[in-house]
Order: sequence, then structure tokens, then C-alpha cells
Amino acid sequence: MNPFRGISGFILRRVLLGVLTLAAVSLIIFAATQALPSDPARALLGRTATPESLAALRKQLGLNRPVVDQYLRWAKGMLTLNPGTSISASVPVTKLISDPIVNSSFLVLCSALVSIPLALGIGIWAAIRRDRPFDVVSSLVLLLFAALPEFVAGIALVLLFGTVVFKWLPPDALIPPGSPPWHHLNELVLPVATLAMVFVPYVARFMRASLIEVLESDYVEMARLKGLPEREVVLRHALPNAIVPSIQAIALTLAYLAGGIVTVEFVFSYPGIGAKLVDAVTSRDMPVAQTIALLIAAIYVFVNLVADILTILVSPRVRTSL
Amino acid sequence: MSDGSDSMQPDRPERVLTREELVRRGVAGGVALSVLGGQIPNALGALAEPAIKRGGTFRVGVQGGSDKEVIDAQTSVLDPDAARLTAIFDGLLYYDENYKLRPNLATQFTSKDAQTWTIRIRKGVQFHNGKTLTADDVVWSIRRMLDKSLSLYATAQLSGLRPANVRKVDKWTVRLILDTPNSVLPDAFGQYFMNIVPIGYTSSKAGGKQIGTGPYTLTSFTPGNRSELRRNPNYWRHGQPYFDRVLILDLNDDVARVNALLGGQVDAITAMPFAQISAATSRGLKILNSQGGGWVPICMAVDQAPFTDVRVRQAFRLIANRPQLVQQAFSGFGRVGNDVYSPLDACYDSALPPRHQDIAQAKSLLKAAGQDGLKIDLATTNGRAGQVECAQVFAQQAQAAGVTINVKNLDATTFYGSQYLKYPFSTDYWGTRNYLNQVAAGSLSVAPYNETHWNDPKFVSLYNQALRTVDQKKRCSIVAEMQNLEYTSGGYIVWGFYNLVDAFSPKVQGFKPSKGTLPLGSYGNGFRTIAFK
Repeated sequence: MNPFRGISGFILRRVLLGVLTLAAVSLIIFAATQALPSDPARALLGRTATPESLAALRKQLGLNRPVVDQYLRWAKGMLTLNPGTSISASVPVTKLISDPIVNSSFLVLCSALVSIPLALGIGIWAAIRRDRPFDVVSSLVLLLFAALPEFVAGIALVLLFGTVVFKWLPPDALIPPGSPPWHHLNELVLPVATLAMVFVPYVARFMRASLIEVLESDYVEMARLKGLPEREVVLRHALPNAIVPSIQAIALTLAYLAGGIVTVEFVFSYPGIGAKLVDAVTSRDMPVAQTIALLIAAIYVFVNLVADILTILVSPRVRTSL
Repeated sequence: MSDGSDSMQPDRPERVLTREELVRRGVAGGVALSVLGGQIPNALGALAEPAIKRGGTFRVGVQGGSDKEVIDAQTSVLDPDAARLTAIFDGLLYYDENYKLRPNLATQFTSKDAQTWTIRIRKGVQFHNGKTLTADDVVWSIRRMLDKSLSLYATAQLSGLRPANVRKVDKWTVRLILDTPNSVLPDAFGQYFMNIVPIGYTSSKAGGKQIGTGPYTLTSFTPGNRSELRRNPNYWRHGQPYFDRVLILDLNDDVARVNALLGGQVDAITAMPFAQISAATSRGLKILNSQGGGWVPICMAVDQAPFTDVRVRQAFRLIANRPQLVQQAFSGFGRVGNDVYSPLDACYDSALPPRHQDIAQAKSLLKAAGQDGLKIDLATTNGRAGQVECAQVFAQQAQAAGVTINVKNLDATTFYGSQYLKYPFSTDYWGTRNYLNQVAAGSLSVAPYNETHWNDPKFVSLYNQALRTVDQKKRCSIVAEMQNLEYTSGGYIVWGFYNLVDAFSPKVQGFKPSKGTLPLGSYGNGFRTIAFK
């Protein structure tokens, strides 16, 4: 039997493609970090650098080895889940980024938990109430939010709830190291709200459009003509087909968030991987920058893979054609 | 006031709280150069009343932190590094808010000939681990400063001193014998990274415990995030400090830092963005506006075209509209400069005629040098407030003289990369320093940061002469000659001196504007002269 056929074959193919993609991305990341002007030894020693101390540090960091050799060592380290030691902080990369990974994941998770039901709910309701006041108002508001860049939305929320108008919520997410983010839910409200403002409009618009399209299709008409109650028409017949594009939209947005939280983390001083990445690139801390960049790429690939599989599982037509 | 005999009295810490005397240089006979332990005018005027509120956790948001942070008592790369040093450690001397040297762990720092220096050490000072400070620790600390393998900031401050010539005389006395005289050696020891540590001390990177004699002890340290400090109950300035705990938080983003202060998450912040000052004061925040001696020069390398011709250098200095530069690059929070640095030095020559913009003169100088229609790149980076802006404003001003300046704004790591100190034309920034120390740092061929490649034989010989000259008046006349050389032919455009502008909550008392190099009035003297109301 051909292992590349059927659903399992599809998954296998996609996983292999994902691995290939990541391998290509790893090359690009490595090349890009190599191409950055200056090098980690200079960044580390800063103005105190002398030619001798630079040479010594470069040797110690292995920066004088051939580039191919450096890449292979790094790739091997990644595969064995041992990405090496941070140049700036002199601690293992895994130790340095474990707290930020937990913090960022929790931030994205909270944002998703808040945003997905909200976005789907608004989208569905707006489609059902098409051209009625709720649809018109929600469309307007969502378009407005969608037009705002994250940092503008974040700063506006802080002004409104953190500093100027009301002082209800802490403007910065100052989460102490070693303390899990779920002990600081107050601090999370504004970052989550900002991410929701990015997430909700896109997904809700998608949901609304696809549901409207399905509601106008022949088979829904047929169901109505059969005399089924509208509630059942929407929930049982229209929604399962309309939700497929939304899954893709959710996946794309989630994947975007994996990288897009960089801005939000910066605005709120949230100690996540985004802030770490910015810091690592500034100080040319290659092992940290490369690990985080690859991690974000892996999340992107993984989320897309999950979305594709879900799409297949919920759409019989695609499923049976495999 | 204090003199040699006074300083021979045994030290009682409470004496320090009542009287202070300072650097006395140029006194004929007797103690020629000395820093004497005496009275400190009550360091905190507002706290003179008996009931100073004690306790509480003071939280400060500091810019400029990263994973690169390190705690080493004798080096400092980033702003949070400096903040911690002031709290955990003490040096032999320190600069007060008027940029005057004061005794700290040394009660005397004296020399007759500027070559052999005698340091008397304060008695009754304990390290955080309970060990008593003695001459052995001071000898060990100064020898550590000289250890080139450690790449410490402190090392470059002590040229002409060999480890073997740092000698213990008795339990409370240390002698330094320099290869060549240095009349301003105390200036070097007043800097915030010239700290005294117990024998065997190592940095945080080497896994060492951070034991000092400072007002606070370190309880935790996470680079790029925060440091927590606890009150040192055995601090030698009895009564100080006032807070139970101090939290130093890294807040790099300007917006996040101001928001944290507005939202009550921190009690003070460094580097208040100029644009937000009026909005912040209208919400009740206090601004600490300190006029220091820090500067953001435009640097012309005197050995690289087109600046090899002194007429081009002078033309560029005449292009600068200094009031406009201060107004636009520092938002007015600064003072104009006159192409000579170290305005707080006692020898600063304020008699040099102020240099004003003179485009016609600049044009004729450029024409005489065959450089009319000059095009040149100006490298800069977003380091200190105004560093990029001054380059842009200067480029605009230069258009009037027919000079096209292409501003290259590089990220910091690139700017301080392999091209740093090699640019023909660039900007940089410096903190407050006295003149001869600044010369040693940036205006000699052996200086670590000689960005203008200034290497004038006459200047060098005057410098060596000044270091040998004990009498301050004589020394100032030599320094005036040096300043005149730089004023007429140097490579720096010293267009202005910046103010350090910080902000704090009205709940805090005791902050004083300081002329020193560190923000928040040297972080409220290591968080020991500030308290909650």
C-alpha cells in the first residue's frame, strides 16, 4: 500500500514538507544572522574591545571556524535540542528562553481563548443579521480596529485604562522572572485585549463572509424549503461548511501572532520571546536569535499543518478525494 | 576647616554626618593634594527633620538594560549596571551633586608630589558578609583594577600604576607609587566603577557573590529584567539607607517606562523623553533636570581627508548654529558648547570667545582649502538622546555653506563595530569628566577612545606637564593652553552639553539635581539619600 495515500498519507506528506521548509528556513536564518553587520564579539565587548580581546573572544565563541562548519554545528545542536550557550548571558539558550516561551505561549493562548469565540460569534451573528444594525455597526468597528497597527491599539488601551483616563489596570506587564504568568492576570488584560483587536476583525470578517455565501447556496435554500427551522438550517447545515475558511483564517492569524507579539511585548514590556528576540538581534547573540527565529518558524509550520488537517476532517468532499 | 592634623583624628562615622571638607589642591607646603574626611552637609536637606519615613520598596525603571548586564564592582557597560554599583558598593571617593570629590571609604587621599599617594582608610566599615574593611582589601581591589585580563573599565583610569606599587603600609594605610606623577589621580578614584571589594571577589559572570560595603545588599539579579536589593543594616553611614528594598527594573521602551511611572508601577524613571515632560508634570509627576557636563560631540578625524586641513575643521565648527542644535537635538535641555569639553572642571577656560555660526567665514575657509561643494558621510547611532538629531540638524545647517552631509544612522552594534574609532566623521557621547581625565580617555594617541585621532606633540607635552603640576593655579594655566590648542585646531565640534532629565513620583523625597555623570542624581546616591514621604 502506498504510504502517501489517504489521510495518513496526506499528513505524512505535509509533515515531510514541513521539515523541508524548516530546513530551508534554518539556512535562511543562519545566512541572515551571518549577514548582520558587526559580530557578537564586538557587540559583547562594546567600546572596551581591543584587537587582542576580540581575537580571544572570537576563538572562544568559535566564530573563527568556517561558516559551513558553524552552520552544521548549529543545525546539529538544534536537532538534538541543544541550541548552545547564549553569547551575551553565558547561560544555556534553553534556560534563557524557557521563561519567555512560557510567557509568550500563555499570552497567545489567552488571546486565542478570548478571541476565537468572540470572533466566530460576531461573524455568525452579523451574517444572520445581515444589513441589520448589529451587522453595520460591528463591521464598522471591526474595520476600524483592523486598520490600527498593534502598537497604536496598545498605546490607546494603556492611555484609556492604565494611565490617563482610568487607572484600573497596570500599563506594563512587569512579570518577575520565575513567576508564572497566570499569577499575574491583571497584567495580562491589556496585552490580551490588544492582540484580540488584531485577531477578532480578521476572523470575524472571514466568518461572516463565508457564512453569508453558504446561506445563499442552493442546499441551504433546499433545507429552508423543506421547512426546517432557521436555527437548525444555520447550525446543522450552513455552519459546518462555512467554518472551513475560518479555520484557515484562525490558523493564519495564530501563526501571525507567534511572530506578531513582538510588537505587543515591546509596548507592554512583556517578558516574552519577542522581547528576547529583539534583544538578541541587537546584541548579535546569534544562538538565541537563531533559536527563537526557528521556533517561530516551527510554530508557523505546525499551526498551518493542524489547520490543514482540521480542514480535511470537517470537509467531506476534500476528505474523500484523497 | 580640615587639614592634615584634623584628618589624623580617629574616624567616627557620625563625624561624617556633621562636617565635610573636600579636595584641596595646591596648598603650599603641608598636604599638597588631599581629600580629607570631614563633614558632609546633611546629605538630604529635606530629611534633616528627625522623623524620616523609613521602609517601603523603592522601584526604579531604568533604560538600556539587556542580557549583557553584569555585576562587576569595577566595570559598567549598561545603565542598570551603574545603578546597581551605586547601591551595592562604595569607592574610596565619590562625586557629590556639585561634581566635587568627597571622601567615601578613604578618609584621606593625599600626596606631596603627585607621584606617591597615601590613602587612609575609614575604620569601622563592614562588608555585607560581616568582614571588616582593611588595607588588605583596598590593596587587593586596586590590584584587581589593574588586571588587564579582566577587561575592566577601571583599568584604563590608572595608567602609570603597577600592581607591585600598590602597597600596604599598615592596617589602615595604603600607598600608591606612580611611574610618573598624576596630580588628578583622585578624580579617577571618584568614579562610580572604582569600587572596593573584599579579597577574593569575582564578578557575577564568574559566579562570584556580590559583596560590597554599600547601603544595599543584592538579593536577586536577572539580566535584562530586574535586580532586587535589600537594606544593609550595618551600613557605615549610620541611619542610612531609608528603604527596606530597592527594585531596579529594566524598561527600555520610552513609552513603557513613562507608562509605568504614570500607572504607579515604579517610583522613578531615568531618561524621561523630552516630548512627554509637560504631559507628565501636568499629571503631578516631578522632573529632575540635572545640568551636568555630558556632551554629544561631532567628531572629525584630524588625520583623514578632508579634515587633515585645519581650515576645514574650523569651517565646520563655524557652520554649527549651537543654540539651534541645543534647541532641536536636546529640546532645549542643555547648554551651548564652545568646542572645549569638561565645563565643570575648575580649569575650564570660560574666557575663550564664544563661537557663533558664521557661514560666510566657513565658506571662505572651505574655498581656501579647495573644499567648496564638499560631500561627506556622517555616521551616527541612536545612543543618547540627541545623537541622531544633532547629526540631522548639522547636516541641514551645512547646506547653507554648500556642504552636503549624508547622515548614516547605524544601529548601535554596527556603529560600535569594526568601524568605530575609524570613521572620518561621526558622532559620539560622553558623560561628565574633569579635563585631564577626559584627555586621557579620548584625546591622546594612547587614549582608548581617541575618535578625532588627535595626536598633537605640543598638546601631549603640555598634558604631561599638567599631570606633574601640583599647584592648581599653575596647572590651570597649562590646561588653558591645551584647551586653546583644541579650540583653534581640535577635531571635536562640542556644540552642547546635555541635561539629564529624569522623572519621579511626588511620593518620593530627597532627589537633587546633580552635575555628575549618572542619572537621577547618581540614583539618589545609591538610593541612600532618598525616602518616601
